[in-house]
Amino acid sequence: MKFNSPITLLPIIMGAALFFACEDTVTVNLENASPVLNIDAWINNKPQTQTIELTLSQSYFDSSRPKGVKGASVLVTDEKGNVFPFAESTKQDGIYEWFPSSGSFGELGATYTLTVNYNGEKFVSSCKMARTTRIDSITFKVEKGQGPGAADVDKASFWARDQIGSGDCYWIRTYKNGSLINLPRDINRAYDAGIAPTGNFDGLTFLQPIREAISPQQDEDSNGKILSPYKNGDSVYVEIHSISRLAFDYLGELRIQTNRPGGIAELFSTPLANVSTNINNENPKGSQVVGFFNVAAVSGLGRRYKK
Amino acid sequence: MKSKIFTVVVLLLMLISMESNGQMKFTVSGYIKDASDGEALIGATVQVKETRSGNLSNEYGFYSMTLPSGAYTVEYSYIGYTKTERMVVLSSNQNIDIELSNEAEQLKEVVISGDPDLQKSRSLEMSTAKLDMGTISKIPSLLGETDIIRSIQLLPGVSTVGEGASGFNVRGGTVGQNLILLDEAPVYNSSHMLGFFSVFNPDAVKDVKLYKGAIPATYGGRLASLLDVRMKEGNNKKFEANGGVGLIFSRLALEAPIVKDKGSFIIAARRSYIDVLAAPVLSDGFGLNFYDVTAKSNYEVNKNNKIYLSGYLGRDNFAFGDNQGINWGNKTATLRWNHLFNSRLFANFTTVYSNFDYQLQFGEDNTDRVNWQSDVTNFIFKPQFSYFINSTNELNFGGELINYTFNPAGIKGASNGDAVANTLQKKYGREASAYINNNVEISPRFAFEYGLRFSHYDYIGPNSAYTYRDTIPGKRRAVASEKKYGDGEIISTYNNLEPRFSTKFQLTNTSSLKASYNRMAQYIHLISNTTASNPLDVWTPTSNNLKPEIGDQFTVGYFKDFGAFNQFEFSAEGYYRTTQNQVEYIDGADLLINKYLEGDLLSGKGRAYGLELYAKKKTGRFNGWVSYTLGKSELQVDGINNGNWYPMRYDQRHNLKIVAFYELNKRWSISADFVYTSGTPTTFPTSRYYSQGILVPFNGNTTRNNVRLADYHRLDVSFRLEGREFHRDGSKRRNRDYWVFSVYNVYARKNPFSIYFSQSSDRLAAGTPIKSSATQVSIIGTLIPSVSYNFKF
Repeated sequence: MKFNSPITLLPIIMGAALFFACEDTVTVNLENASPVLNIDAWINNKPQTQTIELTLSQSYFDSSRPKGVKGASVLVTDEKGNVFPFAESTKQDGIYEWFPSSGSFGELGATYTLTVNYNGEKFVSSCKMARTTRIDSITFKVEKGQGPGAADVDKASFWARDQIGSGDCYWIRTYKNGSLINLPRDINRAYDAGIAPTGNFDGLTFLQPIREAISPQQDEDSNGKILSPYKNGDSVYVEIHSISRLAFDYLGELRIQTNRPGGIAELFSTPLANVSTNINNENPKGSQVVGFFNVAAVSGLGRRYKK
Repeated sequence: MKSKIFTVVVLLLMLISMESNGQMKFTVSGYIKDASDGEALIGATVQVKETRSGNLSNEYGFYSMTLPSGAYTVEYSYIGYTKTERMVVLSSNQNIDIELSNEAEQLKEVVISGDPDLQKSRSLEMSTAKLDMGTISKIPSLLGETDIIRSIQLLPGVSTVGEGASGFNVRGGTVGQNLILLDEAPVYNSSHMLGFFSVFNPDAVKDVKLYKGAIPATYGGRLASLLDVRMKEGNNKKFEANGGVGLIFSRLALEAPIVKDKGSFIIAARRSYIDVLAAPVLSDGFGLNFYDVTAKSNYEVNKNNKIYLSGYLGRDNFAFGDNQGINWGNKTATLRWNHLFNSRLFANFTTVYSNFDYQLQFGEDNTDRVNWQSDVTNFIFKPQFSYFINSTNELNFGGELINYTFNPAGIKGASNGDAVANTLQKKYGREASAYINNNVEISPRFAFEYGLRFSHYDYIGPNSAYTYRDTIPGKRRAVASEKKYGDGEIISTYNNLEPRFSTKFQLTNTSSLKASYNRMAQYIHLISNTTASNPLDVWTPTSNNLKPEIGDQFTVGYFKDFGAFNQFEFSAEGYYRTTQNQVEYIDGADLLINKYLEGDLLSGKGRAYGLELYAKKKTGRFNGWVSYTLGKSELQVDGINNGNWYPMRYDQRHNLKIVAFYELNKRWSISADFVYTSGTPTTFPTSRYYSQGILVPFNGNTTRNNVRLADYHRLDVSFRLEGREFHRDGSKRRNRDYWVFSVYNVYARKNPFSIYFSQSSDRLAAGTPIKSSATQVSIIGTLIPSVSYNFKF
């Protein structure tokens, strides 16, 4: 059973209890709002190209590719005076890149500042690259399906221990057969080894719900039948990204606002609210900005499932 | 403070001595009870024909009238009961206990049968609603389960967030601003199965009264309303059993005398059985049930002393696996001692224990598990005195001591065999209040009630008190300092004076104007960031950071009785409420296990105003009521909605309810209710953007509750079939029974509870644009038929 907040438990059980709820896709009119600059800046120490994407927000029902922001200047600097200029990509609007000439980006414990100049306005943010933790192993197991008549499911778990010393925040990202598992419900974060800051789970093995969240358990086939998260021959690759405390909170808000199980769960849903940002316009009266800046140290481990 | 108490005492002595200096007066007093089962009748009318002055029996059925010596005709009456007259010669104090017979015992039950003489326009009370259990049991209900909270929602001024939502909202107040008392014990969560059923077992409840305004000084502690639920005492004449079998619950209530006419008890229990019925198709360890047990006993020690002990225990359990699940429930216990100092001074001493807790656990086995427990516990001592000065003047005074303990979260767990435990510091509060309330009828036309409640609150240690840095309103405030306090040390203190006033001016024999003002203070806060209140919502005390909520309410009303027997009643009431220090939360607030919770909270102002129209036909084969409320409720909080006023989530401009009962013949009756309310407000996004490949809804105008859902309307119908009164051979059946067939949401309207915005759940290749959609949820999107069987013997 996977959940990031205990409240998500309620709807699951209630869903089983009452079958009267119903859902309809509806067309609604929305208020207009001006496009807002979105800075999606999650960089890490993986030895590969680092990307920061600048786009403009679009109308909620507009499913076209968002408009990339051209002609901005994107810089990351550290306290020692190192400057990491992110150059505008020639292939796609809004993509700004930095190539490590040797090794990888960043140093553990260093604080980085992001500065974006766009349209005469300056947007800044900063973030410390925190430590991550090593993944010891990945295991698979066969489990009885939940609910009446459910087939057995194959689940994966990763095994890792939180670093000693409280306050480590992690984002666990999973690739199944090379593709990032990245729906809102897949957001898997940890505060020390626990799911919330006040659990006092310092220095322990990550809690079971976190370990098992690398299995995408709610995926269904076209007939609405629950799919086994893994099957023989699948590969899984797990990364633990170190994140800031603000990023931990941000991912929590992101999950609450984007993961909508619907149905009777709406009774306990949090009303729609804007997720926070750690990027500020230097002029408090200037344009709005959304997005997030985090610098992660990453550890990873993969395994192929052989029954 | 001391000087205030002194002044009060002096005033009191003056009042009392003034009386004893008057002409020779004597008192007629006693208890008014139901002749069939000995239950005390609350609010029965005692009227002296000669002086045309009257009085009501109190919560224990006690009445007292002091009159100049002489001969009088005293008339005792109560809704649905046969009127009784007594000739009284007052040359000494008289003790007269009265038993009134239920009309239903003689006639066919009349639904809202009322004594036409009992006119709403004559009493001083306004902004109150009393529902008798007979009426509540006839209102069509969800799945055939008679429900007090759902019935209350059919009254003017009462709204909810939506179907299935826990609790109710009174005149723009939040769910946490209602004081729900079960035999004087506060009930922290009034729902079973979230908001679908309430915790009160109808078989054990005698009387339900909702105060929406003009709340007497006797009560305090919540801003918006008081729901006073009084339990039955138990039949003290003979054994009686009531019960029922429905689709959700089965119920059984047993009552019997302990010593005939002296003491009795009632024990009532309910249990749901979805889990039992569904057991064959559910996997191991899956459980879903809720139950409650309500019990009460009373004993009359002697004429002047009576003892009542009552308790409630309820639990909702959801288990899905041997070590996974959640459960929650209330526990209350009330011990009361009624003491008559003399025929004019009635006292009641109440001691209450009340607790609400929830537990949550997940994990597979002992090496991997997390148990999380949270609770709020109260101990209350409440001495109350009523002094019946004369037939037109009643003085109430007393006090209340409340001890609060909040346990925000205690966590025990293990991960891969390593055990951990962490408990957030418990929070302690203490509330002490004193009140005085005087009810005076100056002339048959003019009456008023004035009162004052003084409340004092301490936030006490052991605890750490934090201060927080100021930041842009709406952002999380970081801790600036921490100060530790020892056991019992006072961290912060608040005092509030809460004046209450209400008045009535009789225009004609059958019409009156009434007005009231009251101020209420609330020292504990319910914090919820979900659309509907849920069992995990956090109760938190007033502290050095959170100030007490203060509410002021003004009401005016016009009341009219009409018809040949005054069988019709009409009222129009206007209200204006303001609140201060209403607690709100920042976007992204972490409310559940947060040591620095107060850094995530905001405080704002509220205002609500409206007009309530109510028309009721009390008697006849066809009866019922129409209720219409035109209302508005808003909040203004720095940091939300750009600091502008915004509507509450349950704000409804129009709220119309029609309830009708019709008796087809001796055995069949039909009931129907229709509800129409304006759509409640909600927040829609304007835009979207991507964050690491996840589609984020965004409101570029940062507005809160900027859109309205579609209007809500629903019709429910139920048919009741009374079991035969006689056996085939003509002899009378000892037991009575009836069937209820009901349909909820007859025309199967899909009323919107919410509209949510989400991205497509397809797994797409990275970089592929994602589709977004809006989905409307109806909690009950279909008609629900049900049947239940009820019996009494």
